[in-house]
Amino acid sequence: MSERTEVLVIGGGSTGCGVARDLAIRGVDVTLVEQGNLTHGTTGRMHGLLHSGGRYAVSDQASARECIEENRVLRDIASHCVEMTGGLFVKRPEDTEEYFQKKLEGCRECGIPAEVLSAEEAREVEPFLAGDIDKAIRVPDGAIDPFRLCVANAADAEQHGARIETHSPVTDVLVEDGEIVGVEVTHESGPGKRVHGTEGGTEAIYADHIVNATGAWAGRIGDMAGVTVEVRPSKGVMTVMNVREVDTVINRCQPKGDADIVVPHETTCILGTTDEEVEDPEDYPEEAWEVDLMIEELSKLVPMLEDARTIRSYWGVRPLYEPPGTGTADPTDITRDFFLLDHAERDDLPGMTSIVGGKFTTYRLMAEKISDHVCDLLGVDAECTTADEPLPGSEDFSVLRDYMDEFGLRSPIGRRSVQRLGSRADEVLKTDEANPVVCQCEAVTRAELRDAIGESGTDLNDVRLRTRASMGNCQGGFCAHRMANELHDFGGYDQPTVDAALDELWQERWKGQRHALWGQQLSQAMLNHLLHATTMNRDGAAPEDFAAFDTGEAPDTAGGLDDAGDATGATAPDGGIPVDADAMDRRDGGDAGGD
Amino acid sequence: MDLRPGADSCYKCTSCDTSCPVAEVDDSFPGPKFQGPEQWRLKRKEDTEIDDSIMGCSNCMRCDGACPSDVPLSQMHNSARGEYVDNQMDKLSREYIRNRILANYGTLARLGSKVPRLTNAVMGNSLVQKVNEKVLGITAERDFPEFADETFRSWWKKRGGPKVQSEEKRIAYFHGDYANYNTVEVAKALVRVYEEFGYEILVPDQRCSGTPMFANGMLDDARRSAKVNVENLGDAIENGYDIVASCTSCSMALRQEYPEQFDLDGTETVAANTYDALEYLLINENVIDPIRAVDGDELDLPDFAYHAPCHSRNQGLDRQAVELFRHLDGVGVEDVGDSCSGISGTYGWKEEKYDYSMAIGEEMFEHMEHAEGETGMTECPTCSMQMEHGTGYEINHPLEVLEKALVETDVEV
Repeated sequence: MSERTEVLVIGGGSTGCGVARDLAIRGVDVTLVEQGNLTHGTTGRMHGLLHSGGRYAVSDQASARECIEENRVLRDIASHCVEMTGGLFVKRPEDTEEYFQKKLEGCRECGIPAEVLSAEEAREVEPFLAGDIDKAIRVPDGAIDPFRLCVANAADAEQHGARIETHSPVTDVLVEDGEIVGVEVTHESGPGKRVHGTEGGTEAIYADHIVNATGAWAGRIGDMAGVTVEVRPSKGVMTVMNVREVDTVINRCQPKGDADIVVPHETTCILGTTDEEVEDPEDYPEEAWEVDLMIEELSKLVPMLEDARTIRSYWGVRPLYEPPGTGTADPTDITRDFFLLDHAERDDLPGMTSIVGGKFTTYRLMAEKISDHVCDLLGVDAECTTADEPLPGSEDFSVLRDYMDEFGLRSPIGRRSVQRLGSRADEVLKTDEANPVVCQCEAVTRAELRDAIGESGTDLNDVRLRTRASMGNCQGGFCAHRMANELHDFGGYDQPTVDAALDELWQERWKGQRHALWGQQLSQAMLNHLLHATTMNRDGAAPEDFAAFDTGEAPDTAGGLDDAGDATGATAPDGGIPVDADAMDRRDGGDAGGD
Repeated sequence: MDLRPGADSCYKCTSCDTSCPVAEVDDSFPGPKFQGPEQWRLKRKEDTEIDDSIMGCSNCMRCDGACPSDVPLSQMHNSARGEYVDNQMDKLSREYIRNRILANYGTLARLGSKVPRLTNAVMGNSLVQKVNEKVLGITAERDFPEFADETFRSWWKKRGGPKVQSEEKRIAYFHGDYANYNTVEVAKALVRVYEEFGYEILVPDQRCSGTPMFANGMLDDARRSAKVNVENLGDAIENGYDIVASCTSCSMALRQEYPEQFDLDGTETVAANTYDALEYLLINENVIDPIRAVDGDELDLPDFAYHAPCHSRNQGLDRQAVELFRHLDGVGVEDVGDSCSGISGTYGWKEEKYDYSMAIGEEMFEHMEHAEGETGMTECPTCSMQMEHGTGYEINHPLEVLEKALVETDVEV
């Protein structure tokens, strides 16, 4: 099958979704393809920090100015994705006064509101700050939910006629007569929403112009087209704490360094990060020392982190880029600016523009510049309006409501739900049906889950990212199966499909927890394992044939959790259980079968 | 106080919910896991709103004992309830006024006990009870506890204070309000038993332990009481006295809630030196041999149905009375099981909670009926009200039994 579109955007991260929205609003026909879920790449693996610009106020003032400007824009157009926590740059005794003053001046030069707080004032803001800090600078940092933001951008693009295809990796870039004309994508489960177990297939999508917004993967798309895009992927670790030890973004006031920031994100705090160049954006070592470093270093700012519970760690790769020949050795010194590479000018291969570098906070501004460029190429005459038009969910809404009265929800549950849903709260939460809480850690109700399932097919990880269900302190132990059950009850999917979806979610949850297996999370993981093994047989230890099991005929299953009695039953040569009546009759108990 | 880090210890195992007597009978109550670690974890700094279901918690604190990993559940509940009452409760509402009256029972008792007979007559009048229910929301189903003709403190004063002097063996008695105004016989029993063992007793100035105030979210009232108590009890400790209480909710408050809720100087010292009256004797004295030496058949003692209060259970004291009186020949003491009595201090006095209170108590009533004895025994004043209310039995305190066995006989202690 094949399809035509005006602009094809490759990459469903913040840049790609931003470009798709911007162009769609301008009336351009857009298709966006993404290899995994939206935010599968770098966007879903960031801190969740909405920069004030303070971080770059000394080293990169141009970026800092862009950040404060976009910070104000996003507070306005994406209010349901943003929490204005405020931020502190904290000076410890071993940090230099000189840099503290530079930071303060830099902020003021870039128009970033900054005030100095004494140690006491800083601890009034954040009681758990270390007792020996000197002082702090307060800046308007915030926290932002990247997934919610991308979903809102994609949804708005769709409302303006765009087509969004996730789980559709690009498998080839089509070049005809010295021009890039389209791509071939492989749909994991056919076009449209993903359904586990559905036959996929390939599709050729022809476009007037292609935007390569694949970040750290940009080189691969370049290779398919026969051009070189030298992205230098650099990995960083993020460690997720179980509770919000702080409600303000805490930065260490140092020139640069690993493990220098704590971001309060939703119900958690995220510690970060490191900066280390890797060869392959999909295959790099995730090492324990990186996690240890986060906790050790950041405990100097917030001592209670030392013994606090960690629920998981994850790694992301930055799509760093510098023009060929710059030759910066240390990845931390590579600019965070973005580059627009028009392959017509650069490689004499028209039809595609690649975007590399850049950072999440300024995604909208980048999208605007890219869209301007594409509109110039296509001869579209339309202004960008994305700085003024609120995203779906961020039209006027207030979280101050009578949750019990309006939605029949207890106040913390109603409040968290409305904070997530924004202006969509009424449409999602007002239901005549019973609306129990399905995920207790994150206060996610059935109505919210069903809304997400309506958008995500059987992809429970997508449901998770939309709702935060299974992202709390039990990491899905008490709710993953309930989420899966909704796929059946509400979605009408059959058991094998639901099982596959549940397994995939469960594996994803386990992936991050592997880096938190000590203390409380180790106990949690074991409890989760045993609950799922012993109540749902999800380790497959017990025989499938319950009739035989009940009559005591089942064999001892090696490694099984329950001792299946004295195993008088014979087993078939293949270790299975003979189930037909004849076979049952032929058995003379006590003699282990098989030869 | 930011208790969010307490949620780190929660594995979501739900042991607390399954141990919650209120959740068992009241479908509208979400249970301690929600009230505690979940509600706290979902908080952000600017979120001041607490769900109103926190007022459904009876403060039995069984969740503390049920939790396998030390989540500070009751501390979370107490703090959340305090915030709810401070920020969200209408101070002119009937509920607030009623709760304030119940929480400050000691203040009313001080007035009522000045004219005990009149008060008993008025409070026992069924019309007054109806008015209480209609106007204040205090159930008419329960009989108001009678005031003693003479308070314990005035008896103590008339008696001239301690009859035994000792440099080594000294206890300061925290009698609380109930033993002072209502069950004076319990307080007197404590005095006689301890003097029998050679203790010098001090009865320091004191106020209510604060238990009913915690349960109603009146943390300012509780703090005022705690301040007086911690100061006076702290002084007593300086002078070589250990603190004993005859009510297990009082000892609970001094030991757990003070240090958890208040940053007053000396709470830790008071907590570390406070004991239940029976517990202290069993730790420091040989009580069992004298008990064994008593001929129980000579005593005028019935068989008992013993109920361990939730707050004694949390201090690990739930078996002490049964295990001690096992050695008293001829007197059977039977444990009526581990359920909550359901009254939980002021909870069962509230008109809208009365039915729940009785539903929680049902199991205990059944076990009491089933037990050999037809007299009840417990350490807790309100548990004893509930036991009497549900079965019609007369209820004794273990100290009263101890007094009969050791003081009124001429056994050597």
